[in-house]
Amino acid sequence: MADILDILDIEQPGASEITRDSIIHGDKVKKKYVTAKAVRRPEGMHREVFALLYNDNKDLPPLLPTDTGKAYKQTKAKLGMRKVRKWVWAPFTNPARKDNAVFYHWKRASDEAKEYPFAQFNKQVSIPSYSESEYNQYLKSEDWSQAETDHLMDLCQRFDLRFIVIHDRWDKAAFRDRSVEDLKERYYNICSILSKVKTNPWSNTVTMVNGEKRVYHYDAEHERKRKEQLKRLFDRTQEQIDEEQMLLAELKKIEARKRERERKTQDLQKLISRADSGNSVANTQANVTNEGVTMPSNTVSNIVRRHDRKLHKKKLTTQQRLVRVETVSVEWSGIKFPEARGTGVWLRSQRMKLPPGVGQRKTKAIEQELRLMNIDIAPTPTEAICKHFNELRSDLALALDLKNALASCEFELQALRHQYEALNPGKTLSIPPSICNLNVDGEAKPIGEIIDVVGSPTALNTTI
Amino acid sequence: MSLLTDFGPDSGGRVKGLVIVKPIVYGNVARYFGKKREEDGHTHQWTVYVKPYANEDMSVYVKKVHFKLHESYANPNRIITKPPYELTETGWGEFEIVIKIYFHDPNERPVTLYHILKLFQSPVSEGSPPVGRALVSESYEEIVFQEPTQLMQHLLNSVKPITNGQWTHDTNFEEKKEKTLERVISAQTKVRSEITELKEKLQLAKETITKFKEEIAKLQNNPTSNILPGA
Repeated sequence: MADILDILDIEQPGASEITRDSIIHGDKVKKKYVTAKAVRRPEGMHREVFALLYNDNKDLPPLLPTDTGKAYKQTKAKLGMRKVRKWVWAPFTNPARKDNAVFYHWKRASDEAKEYPFAQFNKQVSIPSYSESEYNQYLKSEDWSQAETDHLMDLCQRFDLRFIVIHDRWDKAAFRDRSVEDLKERYYNICSILSKVKTNPWSNTVTMVNGEKRVYHYDAEHERKRKEQLKRLFDRTQEQIDEEQMLLAELKKIEARKRERERKTQDLQKLISRADSGNSVANTQANVTNEGVTMPSNTVSNIVRRHDRKLHKKKLTTQQRLVRVETVSVEWSGIKFPEARGTGVWLRSQRMKLPPGVGQRKTKAIEQELRLMNIDIAPTPTEAICKHFNELRSDLALALDLKNALASCEFELQALRHQYEALNPGKTLSIPPSICNLNVDGEAKPIGEIIDVVGSPTALNTTI
Repeated sequence: MSLLTDFGPDSGGRVKGLVIVKPIVYGNVARYFGKKREEDGHTHQWTVYVKPYANEDMSVYVKKVHFKLHESYANPNRIITKPPYELTETGWGEFEIVIKIYFHDPNERPVTLYHILKLFQSPVSEGSPPVGRALVSESYEEIVFQEPTQLMQHLLNSVKPITNGQWTHDTNFEEKKEKTLERVISAQTKVRSEITELKEKLQLAKETITKFKEEIAKLQNNPTSNILPGA
């Protein structure tokens, strides 16, 4: 205790004559430094050089380099100032041993003779026992003779259920070789049978849970499989290991590629849908109100794009285009303005902003229409004006879509007529004039030219 | 802000279903010096402002108005805390002024207006005003308080008139509103009928396409006989 207090540098109130100082410096005789006479700086010597030679204590510089300075020296503590307790070489017996063998060990003289403390760790396994009649009644087995079973139980007792050891010491001469699993299976089987028929349970195989006996069940089949598996894993050759590594790496690569592909597909989908809504043909916005005209959207959008590009090309791949007829129906709609937000302050004019889904081209076209109708593109924002203005622009967008669709229909009609004329020279089909009137691209032939039909089917002259 | 205490911790709670609308007018007036000023090249004096459309004192619910001028002005961020919410400056160029209106209740977010400062009469517009008279460029706007906080509701409902006299604006917004609405509605009717017409045409066009295709299919299936129905 005093040592610890010393080490921790805690002042001991009733400390005897032994103090830390007395331990450390106890043997040092206090040296009296004789102050040397002030050494004068020789004339012509620089102050810095002089300071190197003489310090403030005025003692002379050492002649040899020394490292015995206080700062770096480990002070030697003089410990163990008190009397040591004695150790003695004493005999002892281990109660865990039955042979009364006497060994010797060091122990303190002051310690009383106690029982060898490590004897308590000598745990004994209680192995069930059975009588001759019990064996015949319950434990008979086709595979195991009684002698063999007895041998097993004996080994279990001797080696405290260390089955690997039991397996090693198995009397292979007298009995046939059995695996560790076989031995365990037989042993635990006997335990479970005996625990059922006998009243006194064995501590290590039977546990009482809620007053109910629980017997350890040994699944030999599972153990055999497990070991087989481990064995196989262990027996793999280097080539097999390498191959497995390679396959795993490949799998990772494949999955990465798959993810990449999916991402790209998604991007493409987004792009397509954006392009479609931008092109105003296949407007996929939900919550369509009252517009119910349906169109094969893909065809139309395709044609519209082609129409834009190939306006001047008379050569048409009609057959090709006919293949592309699809039956996706899309409902026409105008612009869907966002609903009023929940709470907070907002400006009325914010309600008149076109939603971001509306493309640049469409916005321009709507503004152009508004200008033609002499309507401010940013009118005075009252509630009523806001509402009607938004409705108006939605309608304008719808009208533009319809015009585009009609133009593409007309384009298709022309193409079909050319096809018909090619198949049936000298005859033609008539396109209802009301449709052609709308033709905006100026490409259409004059109406008169279209109508001069010989044998045109009257059924086609549908009136509006 | 002793009012805050009146509402206690509930002041942040919003009044369900209530919408309060406060119309405002914002814009600028500008006056030409008649010449270019020697020392800095400025040509106009202008005043940008935010004022209530009705004869109401906005300061009851507006905490401050922040005008953000062009970067070339010394301290371009100008904050006005008392009415009239206006700012007079001189300059030579037009630019966009960002106007941010803050409210007394910090739970209500500020609103932002954008105004293009106008100094020069556009040549196409209705005749140039007499020299020396101010040019006015102002807009009407409505601040919508959707489900305001209880504090804000109280403030919005306790506005007092600014003046006992007439409160008028340079622009006749009532007339403008009326005309705009009229025009929009008539345009709407026109476009609607156009849509109906277009839909019919589209329907017809599609029917015709189907018929054309049938005819072509007939010809392709039976190329030898050129007989058409009804011919």
